[in-house]
Amino acid sequence: MGRRRWRQQRGDCRVGVRAEALPEAIAALSRTLPTGPSPEIFRRAKFDLPEAVPALWQLLFHVLSQVPEDCATTSLTPEAQVRWVKSTLRSQGYPRPALALLPEDGTQGSRELLLALSWLLARGPLLERVLTCTRVRLGDEMSVCECVDLARGRASLDQPTACKDSNSCLDVRHVQWLMGKLRFQWRNLISSHQEHCALLSKIHQYTRGCHSDRNLCHLSVAEVELLSDPEVGKQLLQRLECENARLEAALDWCRLEPVFWKWTDTVLDASPPGPPDTGSQPTFLPRISDQGTRGLELLAWELQALQEQLGAAVEARRTAWAVQVLAREPEWRAAMQTTEEAVERELEVLRQTWEQGADLTQLHGLHRLVRSETGALPGWGLHVTEAVGALRSKEACLEAALGWLQEQCRQELTRLVGALPELLWIPPHGHWEP
Amino acid sequence: MSIVTVQLGQCGNQVGFEVFDALYSDSYCSQGLCSKKENEAYQASCKERFFSEEENGVLVARSVLVDMEPKVINQTLSKAAQSGRWKYGQHACFCQKQGSGNNWAYGYSCHGPKHEESIMNLIRKEVEKCDSLHGFSIIMSMAGGTGSGLGAFITQNLQDQYPNALKMNQVIWPYGTGEVIVQNYNSILTLSHLYRCSDALLVHENDAIHKICAKMMNIRQISFNNINQVLAHQLGSMFQPTYSAEDSFHYRRNPLGDLMEHLVPHPEFKMLGVRNIPQMAENSLPYSTFTWAGLLKHLRQMLISNAKMEEGIDWQVRPPLARLPALGKMPFNKELHFDTSIANLVILRGKDVHCADLGGFRDPALYTTWLKPADAFSMWKTQRAFNKYEKSATLVSNSQFLVKPLDTIVGKAWNMFASKAYVYQYTKFGIEEEDFLDSFSLLEQVIASYCNL
Repeated sequence: MGRRRWRQQRGDCRVGVRAEALPEAIAALSRTLPTGPSPEIFRRAKFDLPEAVPALWQLLFHVLSQVPEDCATTSLTPEAQVRWVKSTLRSQGYPRPALALLPEDGTQGSRELLLALSWLLARGPLLERVLTCTRVRLGDEMSVCECVDLARGRASLDQPTACKDSNSCLDVRHVQWLMGKLRFQWRNLISSHQEHCALLSKIHQYTRGCHSDRNLCHLSVAEVELLSDPEVGKQLLQRLECENARLEAALDWCRLEPVFWKWTDTVLDASPPGPPDTGSQPTFLPRISDQGTRGLELLAWELQALQEQLGAAVEARRTAWAVQVLAREPEWRAAMQTTEEAVERELEVLRQTWEQGADLTQLHGLHRLVRSETGALPGWGLHVTEAVGALRSKEACLEAALGWLQEQCRQELTRLVGALPELLWIPPHGHWEP
Repeated sequence: MSIVTVQLGQCGNQVGFEVFDALYSDSYCSQGLCSKKENEAYQASCKERFFSEEENGVLVARSVLVDMEPKVINQTLSKAAQSGRWKYGQHACFCQKQGSGNNWAYGYSCHGPKHEESIMNLIRKEVEKCDSLHGFSIIMSMAGGTGSGLGAFITQNLQDQYPNALKMNQVIWPYGTGEVIVQNYNSILTLSHLYRCSDALLVHENDAIHKICAKMMNIRQISFNNINQVLAHQLGSMFQPTYSAEDSFHYRRNPLGDLMEHLVPHPEFKMLGVRNIPQMAENSLPYSTFTWAGLLKHLRQMLISNAKMEEGIDWQVRPPLARLPALGKMPFNKELHFDTSIANLVILRGKDVHCADLGGFRDPALYTTWLKPADAFSMWKTQRAFNKYEKSATLVSNSQFLVKPLDTIVGKAWNMFASKAYVYQYTKFGIEEEDFLDSFSLLEQVIASYCNL
């Protein structure tokens, strides 16, 4: 279970936590987690009972997508959630292939799911992220980086089977219709955003000088609501109490964590050893052996040997290839040149993205919107021009990427047109530009 | 979310006035048949969309008036002021001394560029008064000079300057027996230019509304005022507030956006038509009673048999039992009995609206093969009665209803063009033969696309 658990085990000896604290530890964990699963789920999952399966899939979905509980479940079917969890875990480097083989109907595999959850916890900082996400927010905030949006938006990306209907032939007008619909929704979204901004600005202007905190000058939407409706105050109090309870549970969890990991070892022992990872389910993150630093030397030596072998093999291939190429040199050379150019362009786009991404790292996270008369910033502040600049550069790199993709499509179209010389291609209305 | 109206030319200004008057009188009518609280929400929603409020509480229409002659604008302004209920903004109109002489090219190429800056400034000022602009409703005739030529020019400018705002053009279709000799030229130029820069073209046919006035409203001497009032009633029943969702009692924030998303996402199919039921003289209303089942049965038959009003519906027309692909590929010069829809929106207003059954509109046989009824049909409703009608239903549809009139106009214009009649009047002002040919090919494409549903 990685470095974190190893650290915990060592810490265990120092603290000397009672073994009977296990129920307490699990209760603390479940109170910290977003869906607040019953502690009984964990016991059932240890014995691989099917009753625990749906709750665990849902829990994993929430933990990974970080979407608020109420709006996530409605948009995706349970099967889609299962698929999504599987693919996300795989892309994050989850090492056990058994998880990917679980059925999508949510009937079995609670122990595997428990192990997956434990893996996420062990890898950290899962709970911290979840807690940040569910924090009660009083200010009007904006994010400059994409990570918040990505974490929320990803959930909707995965609906692969919904539109694949290989039996019926697809009418291109249906696709155009959907595309048009998307365009309108996009425009509606933009005007909603503009309205939101205009109204925020009004509230900030009208409440100037009302805030007790001098750095803030004016009230936020949540604060105005609090003042205008006592019922909102009660709700806020409730939410704060909830969050408080969750934070207290998280503190308990930090104290009792070692007990949980000992118990997880017994779960791991109870599960049958899976088949060795054959590479059919590729993992994208490098794994580090648990044997520690002594193993590393051995590993380095093995790696070097492998590299040498690989070098020899590549050399042999290359000479064989060169012989082949010499025979058909001119056409190969042209093909190679176009490939090289394409790679060069793609690299350039990537490089730009990377360079601009580097600037953005400082502007990471959510920022409270504050309208300041003097223009003076408290120490932690971010000036609006900086934020706008960051967004502009992000826009520029997205546009570059879009331009590159459009170029790809155009080339593909030109190729298709060339393949059907007897056809006349007329661009649709409103796309007259060459 | 607000909508800014641009009234262009004689026709656009007269219709625009009636629309605002209908919106106002419906919102503040005492016969809404709903609770006081609900009525207030309805009024507030209507106000946000179409009016701004002066400090003394008088409502000001979110509208810009444009004409090249002062007469109609002055009449419109004074009519609004006389109503004593609402008015136009003090600096919201633009007029000149000389009209466009029914020449599209003059409106588009001369008046347009010459007055572009002043008109766009007026519009910008009106836009700045909105907390949030959602879109434009541009009211214009299709066949005249100022409304159609300048209207197309202004719509293009709006598209350039407000690319994210929605643009719906209210296009008044001329009488088939119109008195303007070049009305077919003007019409094809208007339609083809709007097709490129507008999001939706809502078509109002003078002939159809004239018949409604005669048959349904029992008006003897039909004036343009009568016609414009019927048209304003139809538009009002489309754009007055409706609930945002099936089980919600909040009013929809963004009717223009929702409507377009439902009906005109496809760039080749932008023609919309509107029908409503019941229609009758105001003094007959107290003696009439309706059921939702009856109204909707009639409305559905009006849709599939392409009838503009309740009277004279052809009840023999039935949707085809099995939709064979070949059926849709009928050549358009044969008579189309059954009208296929791309998408429909039904808006219900009034008593017991939750009991209305719309199953008849969800029949897949009504629609094209490439859209499922769930995507092609949508419904809005509100319990509040509209304009003194206890129950009323409005159907906005994107269907084959316009294929025949459009084909007629294109055909007549082509015949004239082939003999080069009057073309010099257009080339004189910079509209070349090439532009005509572009317009013809675009509209032929539109007709073919609608025929091959």
